[in-house]
Amino acid sequence: MNPQATLAWFRGWGTVARFAFAVAAAALSRSSYTPRMLTIATRQVYFTAWQALAGFILFSALFTVITVEITVAAARGFGLEGYALELVFRVLVLEVLPLLTALMVALRSGAAISTEVALMRISGNLEAAQNEDIDPLEREFLPRVLATAASLVSLTVMSCTVALVAAYVSMYGFTPWGFDEYTRVVAQVFSPAALAGFTLRCIAFGVAVAIIPIAAGADATHDLKSAPVAVMGGMVRLFFALGLIEAASLAVKYV
Amino acid sequence: MEREPGFTPVPKNLQFRIGLLIGFTVVIAVGFVAYALYARGVFEATQRLTLISDNVEGVGVGMDMSFSGFPIGRVNRISLADDGRARIEIVVPLKDARWLRSSSIFTLERGIVGSAKIRAFTANLQDPPLPDGAERTVLRGDTSEEIPRMVAMLRGVLENVEHVTSADGSLQASLANVRTMTERLAGRHGVLGAVLGGDDEAKKVVATIERANALLASLGGVSRRLDVVLSKTDQRVYGEGGLMDGTQRAVAQANTILGEVRESLKRLDRVLADAEKISGNAKAASSDLAALRAEVDASLRKVSAILEEINRKWPFERNTDIRLP
Repeated sequence: MNPQATLAWFRGWGTVARFAFAVAAAALSRSSYTPRMLTIATRQVYFTAWQALAGFILFSALFTVITVEITVAAARGFGLEGYALELVFRVLVLEVLPLLTALMVALRSGAAISTEVALMRISGNLEAAQNEDIDPLEREFLPRVLATAASLVSLTVMSCTVALVAAYVSMYGFTPWGFDEYTRVVAQVFSPAALAGFTLRCIAFGVAVAIIPIAAGADATHDLKSAPVAVMGGMVRLFFALGLIEAASLAVKYV
Repeated sequence: MEREPGFTPVPKNLQFRIGLLIGFTVVIAVGFVAYALYARGVFEATQRLTLISDNVEGVGVGMDMSFSGFPIGRVNRISLADDGRARIEIVVPLKDARWLRSSSIFTLERGIVGSAKIRAFTANLQDPPLPDGAERTVLRGDTSEEIPRMVAMLRGVLENVEHVTSADGSLQASLANVRTMTERLAGRHGVLGAVLGGDDEAKKVVATIERANALLASLGGVSRRLDVVLSKTDQRVYGEGGLMDGTQRAVAQANTILGEVRESLKRLDRVLADAEKISGNAKAASSDLAALRAEVDASLRKVSAILEEINRKWPFERNTDIRLP
């Protein structure tokens, strides 16, 4: 990595940090929450979460059933089927599904939003708004950031719920007699600390997926060729950030 | 700016749908947290139990304590006490606490695979229930700890077996001893020789037995003589002219003497009457009186001598019945 690229890398993260502070400041201000902003946010949630909901829930259910079958079969082979459900909870529900959801949202909406913002910059719409004394941060960016974060949290909760139900059904079938054991494993895995960690990680994923692509899009210039570079840089940074959050969370939990 | 209308169709009841989605998410999240808390027994009345062990390796917070294979309690906290022993604090829901009695036994087992297991055993369910906050020492069984110890013991045993079965080992020596023993059994003095370890010793024992026989014969003579002595003693004490006879004679003598004394006193009475009649010749009367007194004195002395003699023989002065020694 040459010095210029290193500098650009740091500058990119600097832009993200500046943007994050600006969004946080706007989110904490009451005047940001105008009806117009709420309309944009609602639309964004519709595009990010609602449209993807059915397909993603189906994917989560299938993924869980397959994983549970494999885990139970392998655990039985070692005589450890008592630990199969706990393993599924710890790996699938607490780690893999939130990460998969974040990646899905990043690929589906993050890329789209990043491109949209980059095109706004290229077309000069952002400058025009600024000249009209309208802050594009409040009008365009804040609703998208909040909507993306909310969508991610919502999708994560939904997919994890589906996974919990699918795990029960594929472990015990449609009987209520596994409920006691299931509850016991839930009690073992979902301690208050685990729940708090899960919530924090969801929020961190939401923030990263919402802020990094928009910051990258806003980093584009008037040159049309800058759009792919800006979007690509944003997606790489996002991937890096998601990996970092996951690694940090695992390190805190198990190291 | 805003998305161009019509570019991506947006349904009419958009706000309702999004509200539903967000609301559903919140309800599920809150519901799951409540379920997790319920699963952890937050809404349940519980009682505490502290198990004390010298090693809690493999025990983790959240681990179950099982009774008959069913989980009835959960490890809440593990701490190290001031005395260096580990304390495992277990929370037991009240509805499951009825399986634990004051006589229950708790074990901590570690298998080769998997985490440790805490088990409770109750022999008698009629015993008084385990009180809240009870402290019990846990019995520990550790397979992975047992294996090296078992291997060491097994090696020791094998070494001993090898040592025993070697050419100069104790098993060979024992077999040689057994052969010597059987040879002696077949010898002149038989079992005696085998037990005592040689013919000389056996001879000594035979001589000893003969001497003992002689001793017993002379003891028989002694006891016969003793019988004679005893019969003689019997004769001397209770036979004719024996000690008892003498005593009877002494009593008869005493009776005679007392009769004499009575006679003397009668005579004295008469003399005193004469003395009253014959008051004139006082000199003659007084000489008669002196002679009479001397006679009475002599009689009295005899009586007292006899009484002393009786007293000497029967040392019970006022006890009239005679007790035999």
